[in-house]
Amino acid sequence: MSFSPVLYHMVRADFLERVRRYGFLVTLAGALWLAYGIAAEKIWIVVGDGYRGVYNSAWIGALMATCCSTFLSLAGFYIVKNCVQRDADTRVGQILAATPMRKDFYTLAKTLSNFAVLTCMVVILMLAALAMQATRAEAHTFALWKLWSPFFFIALPTMLLTGSLALLFETIPFLRGGVGNVIYFFLWTTMIALGATGVDDPTGLQLVYRSTRRALIATDLSTADHPSFSLTIGGEHAIRTFFWNGIDWTPQVLAGRLLWVAVAGVIALLASVFFHRFDPARSWKSKQKESSAAAPAPIETVPAAQAGVIAHLSPMIPTSSSFLFLGLIASELRLMLKGQRWWWYTIAAGMLVGQVASPNPNLGSGFLVAAWIWPILLWSQMGCRETRYSTSALLFSSERSLSRQLPTLWIAGVFVAMLMGAGLGLRFTFAADWHRLAAWLAGALFIPSLALALGAWTSSGKAFEAIYTLWWYIGPVHHTPGLDFMGTTPASCQPIAYALAAMILFAAAYWRRRQRLGYA
Amino acid sequence: MQLTIDNVSKCYGGGNWALRNFSLQLVPGVLGLLGPNGAGKTTLMSILATITRATAGRVVWNGADLATDADALRSKLGYLPQDFGVYPNLNAVEFLQYLAAVKGLDAASAKRRIDELLNLVNLADVRKRPLGSYSGGMKQRIGIAQALLNDPQLLIVDEPTAGLDPEERVRFRNLLSELSGQRIIILSTHIVSDVEATATDIALISQGMLVTQASPEELLRRVQGKVWEWIVPSAELNAARQRYLISNTARRSDGVHARVLCDDPPDGAQPVTANLEDAYLHCLSQHRTVYTSRVEAGVLA
Repeated sequence: MSFSPVLYHMVRADFLERVRRYGFLVTLAGALWLAYGIAAEKIWIVVGDGYRGVYNSAWIGALMATCCSTFLSLAGFYIVKNCVQRDADTRVGQILAATPMRKDFYTLAKTLSNFAVLTCMVVILMLAALAMQATRAEAHTFALWKLWSPFFFIALPTMLLTGSLALLFETIPFLRGGVGNVIYFFLWTTMIALGATGVDDPTGLQLVYRSTRRALIATDLSTADHPSFSLTIGGEHAIRTFFWNGIDWTPQVLAGRLLWVAVAGVIALLASVFFHRFDPARSWKSKQKESSAAAPAPIETVPAAQAGVIAHLSPMIPTSSSFLFLGLIASELRLMLKGQRWWWYTIAAGMLVGQVASPNPNLGSGFLVAAWIWPILLWSQMGCRETRYSTSALLFSSERSLSRQLPTLWIAGVFVAMLMGAGLGLRFTFAADWHRLAAWLAGALFIPSLALALGAWTSSGKAFEAIYTLWWYIGPVHHTPGLDFMGTTPASCQPIAYALAAMILFAAAYWRRRQRLGYA
Repeated sequence: MQLTIDNVSKCYGGGNWALRNFSLQLVPGVLGLLGPNGAGKTTLMSILATITRATAGRVVWNGADLATDADALRSKLGYLPQDFGVYPNLNAVEFLQYLAAVKGLDAASAKRRIDELLNLVNLADVRKRPLGSYSGGMKQRIGIAQALLNDPQLLIVDEPTAGLDPEERVRFRNLLSELSGQRIIILSTHIVSDVEATATDIALISQGMLVTQASPEELLRRVQGKVWEWIVPSAELNAARQRYLISNTARRSDGVHARVLCDDPPDGAQPVTANLEDAYLHCLSQHRTVYTSRVEAGVLA
């Protein structure tokens, strides 16, 4: 089998299938939004003691490319991490599996297809870089090589690496679902942190840092004592500028970047080792490991009873019990919690005990922060479970499914949040710390509301898993005012804002569900 | 108990009409909705199951218009979609308990009903096993059980025997017949034998339009005297297909025994008793001729 044509057609078909979906337009819109954020100076690079580069081709190119390699390597991962799953869902995978296709061909093709999708987003930023230089008008000479070379050598290798990691995560059963989504977030933060240690990191931050710092010291020697370099969203603007002529792309620098291309290739080939080639037996095995509480018996068909024998069915008498609503909440809770293993409950209980038993409230807050990330995979199913398991038709044809099922699902989600944080909630109650209690309550309402809204609008749990993890990390973990929805410190409490946001998010979910129902 | 489908049309994006001015009146009994793939059966089922809204026309259940009061029907509806999933970590009882709660059934009567249904679909022995380990046929039987949870007055089953083995199919047909007394059952399928075994009334649908609604006997009467068995040499079979509507062929030592549908039989053809498949093909063939001429005349887009 000839390598190139097969690979080309596999990449092409997968790429076309993706770009012809509505979601691709949303992806491009996201890239455009990022580009706008940079061009409108909402995202900065600040070097040394409050410096930024003059907006010439080199600086804008590096700024945009760095944003690609950092932000898109996070968002992009979640966007492209569905190519194997899509082949399984569309059942094209079974057809492919029956062909002589080699597993390494497949994983390589999927990596390249992931890369192609991410490259489309990078291209948006490349064009935006041109527009930014024209609108900022700080430097009038357009140097295309300086403007775009950072995209080629910084952004694209990172995108290839992201694409290969997304594929690897899809092929390893344990990492395929929400657990992988959360783990990648921490892997991403590690990659970013690597740049601060002086190592040539995959995102190229260290490369830009070294080059800009050299130029800055040459401009202002006093900045040698300020080795800081930060990619900042919002916050204070740089007040001074310096001239930077771009990265000198020496063979050594290029080799450093090519190293990540090679790493991406190795990861793509490594993925072929784990790729199950759509073997349903292996898929089921992975599901068992992932979520099943009790190991089910091997697949075995139970035959229908002897034809012609009809069992008795007693008539159903209509009832109007007020306990129906409670019963549905219990069912939603059971559905949400079903499949969790004993260790999941043990750790959850440990976090609960920690909230109550920790000697000081700050430590207790720390346990709450951990406790409210722990059920992320339970919440991320809210609003999209019906799509994921193809049960929409069964549920949506039921009486009052909108007014009954959606609120009970939400209540079940809130119940999980309150239960997980019950320790600290009780502490606030006994200490009569009403302000913190209000923040705690607002947090418990906000999280499932966010999950429900994102689930209902995106029909997937990935958006919640990505956005919530990032939000949780920036807000509650770092006690960032405005983003701390848990109110982990008295200074960062905003109960009214988050309670209001919870209501708006629930309304958004309700509206979306109403849209989906033929007859609401 | 009455379901009225009044001039219902459904247009998807790009001006693709899945249903055109479809009207039907349903009373208790089993209505077999027959049609080729892509005829609009599933679209009609989705509209009747309140999953999707008609672009034009009305669906009225016992006087209540679905557009304003869909819940009037939903409380009496059992629906088995063509494609549906299950929650793999739940077992059969838990899954049915969940759907019973969603349907608003009280726990005690739901429990009794679930026990009976699991016996009925012969899944009582595997009731505690996660649904993820079920075979396709077993999942289909869970689908049948959930559709009967609320003792529906209107039972809509879309391609219900897909994935069932012959024994299961027979059992399901018997079940439908048993249930049909005081309820309306709509059985959508392209498998004529399923309809033949259970339907009290048949609606043929093609290209989104109602071709005809009649009892099985009436449909059979329409092709009486128009079905022939004709022995054709193998080499001439293709030429025969060009001239006649052939519903079935069987190769024998004396040539191919072709079942021909026509008014003027070929020489040597012997009359045979018509079956429902002959009637179905005859009606569809006539409809296609009319449809093509209307398209060519610009009456239909």
